[in-house]
Amino acid sequence: MRILSWFYLALIFGFIFLPVVVLVLFSFQDSRLPIPPFDGPTLKWYVNVIGDRDLMAALANSLIVSLISAAVALTLGFLAAQGLSRIHLPGSVAMRGLMIAPMTVSYLIIALGLLNVFNSIGIRPSLWTTGIGHVVINLPLCFAIIFAAMGDHQKNAERAARDLGASDMHVMFLVTAPMLMPALLAAYFLSVTFSWDEFIIAYLLTRFDVTLPVEIWSMLRSGLSPATNAIGSLVFLVSVALLFLLEFTVFRKQKT
Amino acid sequence: MTANVSFHSVQQHFGNFVALENINLEIEAGEFLVLLGPSGCGKSTLLFILGGFLTPTNGQVLIAGSDMAGVPPKSRPTTTMFQDYALFPHMSLRDNVAFGLRMKGQNKKTRNLKADEMLDLVGLADKANHKPHELSGGQRQRIALARALAVDPEVLLLDEPLGALDMKLRRQMQEELKAIQRKVGTTFVHVTHDQEEAMAIADRIVVMNHGKIEDVGSPEDIYLKPNSLFSANFMGEMNIVPMTVKKGKVVLPFDSISAENIPENPQLCLRPENVGLTGEFELGPATLESSAFFGTYHRCHFRPLAIPEIELVAHLPLGEVPEVSAEVRLFGSNPVLLSA
Amino acid sequence: MSIEKTEKIRAFGFVVPALLWTVAFFVIPFAVMVVLSLAHLEGRDVVQTFDLGNYVRIFSEPSLVKGIVVSLEITFVVTIVSVLLAWPLAWIIAMQVPKKWQRLAIMLAVLPFWTSYVVRSYSWALVLGENGVVMQTLIGIGILDEPIQIMATRTATIIGFVHFFVMLLTLTIYSNLVQLSPNYARAAQDLGASIWNTMRLVIVPLTLPGIMTGAFLTFVLCIGDYITPQILGGGNELTMPQLIMLQLGRRGDFPMASALSIVLMCIVTLAYFASARWLKMERV
Repeated sequence: MRILSWFYLALIFGFIFLPVVVLVLFSFQDSRLPIPPFDGPTLKWYVNVIGDRDLMAALANSLIVSLISAAVALTLGFLAAQGLSRIHLPGSVAMRGLMIAPMTVSYLIIALGLLNVFNSIGIRPSLWTTGIGHVVINLPLCFAIIFAAMGDHQKNAERAARDLGASDMHVMFLVTAPMLMPALLAAYFLSVTFSWDEFIIAYLLTRFDVTLPVEIWSMLRSGLSPATNAIGSLVFLVSVALLFLLEFTVFRKQKT
Repeated sequence: MTANVSFHSVQQHFGNFVALENINLEIEAGEFLVLLGPSGCGKSTLLFILGGFLTPTNGQVLIAGSDMAGVPPKSRPTTTMFQDYALFPHMSLRDNVAFGLRMKGQNKKTRNLKADEMLDLVGLADKANHKPHELSGGQRQRIALARALAVDPEVLLLDEPLGALDMKLRRQMQEELKAIQRKVGTTFVHVTHDQEEAMAIADRIVVMNHGKIEDVGSPEDIYLKPNSLFSANFMGEMNIVPMTVKKGKVVLPFDSISAENIPENPQLCLRPENVGLTGEFELGPATLESSAFFGTYHRCHFRPLAIPEIELVAHLPLGEVPEVSAEVRLFGSNPVLLSA
Repeated sequence: MSIEKTEKIRAFGFVVPALLWTVAFFVIPFAVMVVLSLAHLEGRDVVQTFDLGNYVRIFSEPSLVKGIVVSLEITFVVTIVSVLLAWPLAWIIAMQVPKKWQRLAIMLAVLPFWTSYVVRSYSWALVLGENGVVMQTLIGIGILDEPIQIMATRTATIIGFVHFFVMLLTLTIYSNLVQLSPNYARAAQDLGASIWNTMRLVIVPLTLPGIMTGAFLTFVLCIGDYITPQILGGGNELTMPQLIMLQLGRRGDFPMASALSIVLMCIVTLAYFASARWLKMERV
C-alpha cells in the first residue's frame, strides 16, 4: 500500500508540476522558441519583459484593480454579514441567497451582462468597469467566508461589549473585526488573487488600460515566445513567495 | 463467546515519550475490567494495542492463549466500541449493526436476522431503518454496542463510551452495560477516567498513571485499601494526618494504632466518611470552621487544635453537625497507611 | 419605537450597500440580458422584439447544438476524470503522509494554482505541442516514430482542464477526509472489512459531500470557461463560451450571445439541483 501510494504520488505530482516546470525552464531559453532542446540559461527574456512598458503598465493596472476591488468587496461583504448575522430580518434567507447568487454564475455571463448595461447607458469600458465586475464576483465570496466565521461566541462578545457601553462603531472595530481577523484576511487575499488573475471580465470590460492577464493574452496571439514564459514565471514566483511569506507570518501566528 | 487476555511486559514508546512502561496484566474470561486513570495515563493506548490498532514497541499480547503479534484488527477476536461511536452515517441502523456479518460473507437474510436480534437486545428494534443522525446520544451508544457485539467477539473493548453523555443518562447506561455484559458473558475491557463509573460497573479496576499500573483490585479494595497514594486520591478525597512510627505502632498526638506491614515513609490516610464524632481511634479536639449540606450528608471542615496547619474534611451524618466554631473531639476509623 | 425595531432597521442599514451593489451590477444586468435575448440583429443593429427566435435557433442550428453537446461532453469527462485522479491523491495526503508534512503536501499539490490561469493553459500548449516536451520524450525513448497531434484537439482541452480541477478537487476531498474521525476506518476494519471494502463501503461514501462540492464547482467553472478551449482546443470544435465570444466579436450579435448565456446558466442550474442533495449534507 505504502509503495503504491508513493508511486501514485510521484506520478500525479509529475502531472501537476509538468507545465510549471516547462514554463519556468524555458523562460531561460536562449533561442526564440520555448521548445526542446533547452539551450539556455539566459536572463535576457526577463530583461526584455521588465523593460516592456505595456506589460509593466498592465501589471500596475492589475495591482490597482485587484487591491481596490478586493477592499470594496471585503467592506461590503463584512457589513452585510454583520447585518444579516445579528438579527433575523424578514427576508433574511432571500437576501442571503441573492448575495451568494453571483458565485454560481459563470464569469463570462456576468461580464456579458455588465457589458450590455454599460453599452446601453453609454459607459465606456475602463479599469473602473472591470473593477465593478470584480467586486460583483468577489462580494459573494467575502460575504460567505465572513458570514460562516460569525458564530455564537462572536455574538456574545458583541453583546457584552454593547452592554459595557460600546457604540456600534466601537463594537465593530474593537470586537468584531479583531475576532474575525483570520476570516477577513482570508477573504481579502482570496479576492485579490481572483481579481488579479481574472481574464474574461477584464477582457470584455477594458479597452485601452488593460490588466495583466489581458496583456498576456494578446502576447499569445503572436505565438510561442520565451518572453511569455518569463512573465508567467515571474508572476508565479512572486505569488508563491507571497504565499509562503503569509503562511509563515500571518497564518502561523494564528495557530498559536 | 469469551476469552482471557494477558499482557506480558508491554511497552509503548512514541518517539521519546513513554506511553506505557512494562505492563503486565491478566484479564479473566468473562470479566468486566475497567482501566481507570487520568487523561494521558496510557489506558487508551493499552486498549488500542489490545484491539490491534497499535503495535507495541515491546512485549506480548495473548488472547485466549494465542499470541496476537502481527494479527490485524479484523482477524482478532476483539471488537471496539469507539469514543465517538464511529457509526456509519450513510447506513441505516440495521446495516450498521449487520456490517461485521456482511464482511464475514453472511447473506442478507441471516445477517439482518442477527442484526434485529442485537437491536432488540439494546432496545432499539423499532428504529432499525433509521439513520444514526436521527438518534439521541444514548441511543447511538447502544447502536455502537449492538454493532460491536453482533460479530460475537470474545473480548469487547470500550473506549470511554459514556464520555459524551450527561450525568443522569450515564448512570442509566452503566447499569445497562453491566446487565448486557452479564447476559452475553463476553469479556469487557472498558476505559474511563470517571472513578464513580469504574466502581459502578467493574468486576475489577486497574488504576493507571504515567504509563504504569498503580493498583489492581475489586472496587471495594481499591476504594478502601488502595495500594498507592495516587490510587487513593484518584478514587476519592483523602485526609492525610501527620503521624510518627514507634515500635511498630502508628503514633498520633492523642492515640496510637497498631498496624502490620508499615510501608516506608508512611502517611496516614482517612476518607472523609471515616472522620467523625465517634470512631476507632481519637484524632483529638478540633473546631468546626464551616459546613455545607450535601443532601445525604454534611461536608465539614475541621481545624485540629494540636495540628492547626492541617484541615480535616469529614462527612457527618444528617443531624450530627455542631455549631460553627464549636469545639468537638474527632475520631477516625478504617485507617490506610500508604507510602508518600 | 421598540428596541427590536430600531435594531432591525440598523441591521438592515448594514446590508443595504451590498444589496444595492448586487442589484445594480448583477440583477439588473441579468434582467437586461433576458430582455436582450429576445431581441434580433438586423444588419448591425439590435432590434428589440419579444420572441424566442434565438432560442429556437440554439436548439435547431447544427453548429449551435453541437456547441452545447461538445461543452457537455467535455465537462462530464473532465469532472469524472478529475474526481478519479484527485480522490486517491487526497486520500494519500490525508492518510499516508505524516501529519506534520500534510500542510506542505497540500500546498505543493495546489502550487500551480498560483500561476496565472491564462499562462497555465499556455504552458500546456508548450508541453503538448508537436515539438513539445511530451512528444520529444516519447519519440526520444522510441515509443512514437513521429509526433501525434494533441494540440488543437479536444484531448488537449481536457488535459488542461483536468490539471486545474484535480487541484481543486484534491482540496475539497482532502478537507472532507481530514474531518472524518479515524475511528470510521478503524471500526470498519475491526469488524472485518478489507482495505478495499473499507474504502468502498465506508470512506468513499463519507467523502461524497467533498466529492460533490468539488464536482459541482468543476462543472460550473469548466462549462463556463473560455480560455482553456480557446488556447488548447483550437477552432475545430467550439464550446458554448467560445460560441458566445464569437457572437460578440465577429458579428456583434449581443441578443444571440445573451440567449446562449441564459441557456448556459440553465444548464448550471440543473447541475446544481442534481447535486444539491449532497451539497447540503455537508452541513449536517
